Amino acid sequence: MKDQIRNFIAETTFNDPSIIKDDTLIFDEGIFDSMGLLGLINFLESEFNVVAEDSDLQEENFGSVERIVAFVLRKQAA
Amino acid sequence: MTKKPFSKDILHLENIDEVIDGICEKLREDVYKRFRRYGGVIGISGGIDSSVTLAIATKAFGSDKLLGIMLPETDSSPESEELARELANKFGVKSIVENISGALEGFGCYRRRDEAVASVIPEYNPVTDKMKVVIPEEFVNKNLPPVHYVSVTFKDGTEKKVRLPMKEYLQIVAASNFKQRCRANMLYYHAEALNYAVLGTPNKHEVQQGFFVKYGDGAADVMPIGNLFKTQVYQIARHLGVPEAIINRTPTTDTYSAEQTQEEFFYQMPFDKMDLLWYGWENDYSPEEVAPVMEMTPDEVSKIFKNFARKQKTTDYLRTPPLHDYNIMEGSLV
Repeated sequence: MKDQIRNFIAETTFNDPSIIKDDTLIFDEGIFDSMGLLGLINFLESEFNVVAEDSDLQEENFGSVERIVAFVLRKQAA
Repeated sequence: MTKKPFSKDILHLENIDEVIDGICEKLREDVYKRFRRYGGVIGISGGIDSSVTLAIATKAFGSDKLLGIMLPETDSSPESEELARELANKFGVKSIVENISGALEGFGCYRRRDEAVASVIPEYNPVTDKMKVVIPEEFVNKNLPPVHYVSVTFKDGTEKKVRLPMKEYLQIVAASNFKQRCRANMLYYHAEALNYAVLGTPNKHEVQQGFFVKYGDGAADVMPIGNLFKTQVYQIARHLGVPEAIINRTPTTDTYSAEQTQEEFFYQMPFDKMDLLWYGWENDYSPEEVAPVMEMTPDEVSKIFKNFARKQKTTDYLRTPPLHDYNIMEGSLV
């Protein structure tokens, strides 16, 4: 899952996956913008069947690859 | 040079006449000498920015070298045209009305937009209901890029707000942008017919944060107030005698059928606050220096600075003219 998410971010931002570490802050680093976030929401829904509610849109859930993975796992377990 | 201590009046123009004269001198230099145009056309909306642009341009060129054009369409507030007319009369500038609704119908602007809205809010009826696109205020403190919502006010006054998926968001924006681009076409028609330049009206925030449509309201030959903060635009408006009704009007987008302020659609904070914070960020004041003046915490200031940096970076595309430095011949010619 981690690599799938990392590859999605890398592909949609034309970056090499190696620059996106588990804890790279993808918004702070300017890797992702609004479009990236919307695309990521779609991706999580289609790939992992996880629907991000309005209240889920927090940096704690989307700020880095490791946070996104934790968010997906939490949602799947709920 | 040592920086002035950060304060609430750091942006106040002490030498306002000198500032205005400087802009006027550069305008004459650019329009007359560099572009060799005889005057200027301005799209006037009854808003503060186009009004101040017209007021400054009148000082620079004289009212007989200007044409003010009102460009209403189906969703425009009637107040916009009334105020624009009042402005033109006050400054003695000839004005005309060009209604662009027919052109927008032809492009399918309204149909394409409403189709996208109805796909997320199926009960939306464009004939009776009003729509707008908003960013919830809480995004300003989230340290995440903003996500847009469509808000529909039904004819019974109830409201429904839904987060926009990417496809629908892009379609609404793309369709709505026909409005600014139609206006730009009409401005350039009149400018070319008179051998005038198009005087653009964006202020510093619009330019730097990318709150304009590329080749729409961003299409212009010069942007006289493009380096002025909004509070400075208001200061000049008062100094040059822009009608009070325009000065007191809340800045709106005048783009969607429902009424919407610019703060609600894009900026997410009042102009006086944003001016100071942007100035602080742009001039490398630390969050610790800025926070006490703004009655905020350094962490709150820091989040806003990050938002500014993100906005400026992600809107670079809008400010970039077509790239043509493809030197494919370099090295291949003998």
